[in-house]
Amino acid sequence: MGSISTTTSRVLGAAFATAALALPSLQFANAEAPPERGVVSFKYLHYQDSQEIAGQTVSNTNVINTVSGASSVAASGTSGSGGSQDRIGVDAYSVSALFPVAGKWSIGTTYTSDSVSGASPTYHSSGLTTMKDLRRAVDVQLTRYFSRGSVSFGTSYSKETDYISSGFSVQGSLLTENKNTTLTLGGSFNNDSINPVNQPAVDESKKVTSGLIGVTRVLTPQDIVQLNFGYSKGSGYYSDPYKLNDNRPRERNAVTALARWNHHFDDNGTDGTVHLSYRYYSDTFGIRANTLEAEYVQPLYKGWSVTPLLRLYTQSEADYYVSVGSAEKANPTKPTPPPVNAVYYSEDQRLSAYGSVTVGLKVSKQINKDWLADVKYEQYEQRAKWSWYGNGDKGLTPFKASSIQVGLSRQF
Amino acid sequence: MNRDIIKKSCYALLLMSMLGLSGCALGTAVQPWEKETLARPEMTFEGDKLDNAFTEHIYSSKEGASGGAGVGGGGCGCN
Repeated sequence: MGSISTTTSRVLGAAFATAALALPSLQFANAEAPPERGVVSFKYLHYQDSQEIAGQTVSNTNVINTVSGASSVAASGTSGSGGSQDRIGVDAYSVSALFPVAGKWSIGTTYTSDSVSGASPTYHSSGLTTMKDLRRAVDVQLTRYFSRGSVSFGTSYSKETDYISSGFSVQGSLLTENKNTTLTLGGSFNNDSINPVNQPAVDESKKVTSGLIGVTRVLTPQDIVQLNFGYSKGSGYYSDPYKLNDNRPRERNAVTALARWNHHFDDNGTDGTVHLSYRYYSDTFGIRANTLEAEYVQPLYKGWSVTPLLRLYTQSEADYYVSVGSAEKANPTKPTPPPVNAVYYSEDQRLSAYGSVTVGLKVSKQINKDWLADVKYEQYEQRAKWSWYGNGDKGLTPFKASSIQVGLSRQF
Repeated sequence: MNRDIIKKSCYALLLMSMLGLSGCALGTAVQPWEKETLARPEMTFEGDKLDNAFTEHIYSSKEGASGGAGVGGGGCGCN
């Protein structure tokens, strides 16, 4: 047995390393059977980001204010003197419930309230402007289970002062006779309407259609792998109305390839589980991105478990990203004008080339057979010079964020 | 650009078949009575849904790339 499992992990290791691939994300995986019990969960999130102010000479009196006259956008240019404490902060909570119905169905719903406030740049790392908004979102999913598969229908609705998104999705999964391989097919459609508070004349929309095909395969009693390919096609308003010099293409199509591998360490006695994933992303804005995630779940005694995690991310810049110019570099209160004759342009740092690192730790406690509690802390940092694509914008300053999540769930 | 997308998709497909083959090469299908470990919550890809939703939401509002694991979910004005 020992030699078989050694061979297995070598084969898997080789496959994984050769392709150098695999990454993360969420929802639907292999829920082929209806839940045996209902579950109600609550989670609270606190998030805070920070960034050094570009240049050493800028004080909080120099902040440029381009957003004005908005009811939900407080048009004051008060950035903190340290440049950190007044940046975007989020307090959010979610409540979800999932219940089996009549043995062959399940219904799940989630409500999220997301309160965002603080300052964010209007160009590059500069021109801080404060905002405040509340987002409320709800989604519902209905699933029918069959002997060898399931079909899920979902709908979602999200509302902010200036942005309403509604969508629906369908996903089906089919298992092979021995239930070791699952084929998953999914599709979704989102229709968003956008009414920026600072530009009342803009009454815009965005429509995104996406599809997904995936294969999940049990390789050994301790190994399961999944490969998903996704495609999304979007058209409409992609510009950021709160940024200066921002005019983006009205179409955005993206492809993703995601590979995930879960392995459980039975033989060596740790009883731990490692999750590895890699995602490749490419879109018509010209952004290419690689995301690599690893986490390790270590059960301890009396229902405690700890999960350290590491996430590495890198992206190339969008084709129309405009770097910090020399005048802005010398004086960050002078925004760089877009190139003459440029049709599309943006100075949003999220479209620049950079790399990021996340480290985190989750601690959970299974209190008894009904109750589960958890706490998760993550620290995130983004730097232009960490881009694997080599052309990071040196005019941007490092961006940092930290978050904490506290959760409680109960089974019925 | 499209050529690049196609090229990368091909690499991904290649990987997919490699992983599939490596599974086949093991020869022995995992039997139902061997699936106790696989049934543990930490062995599923679903994970902690609320945690995943928050995390995904943060990354999609701070980074250029998003998606990959599933379909559905609401959009927002945060990116």
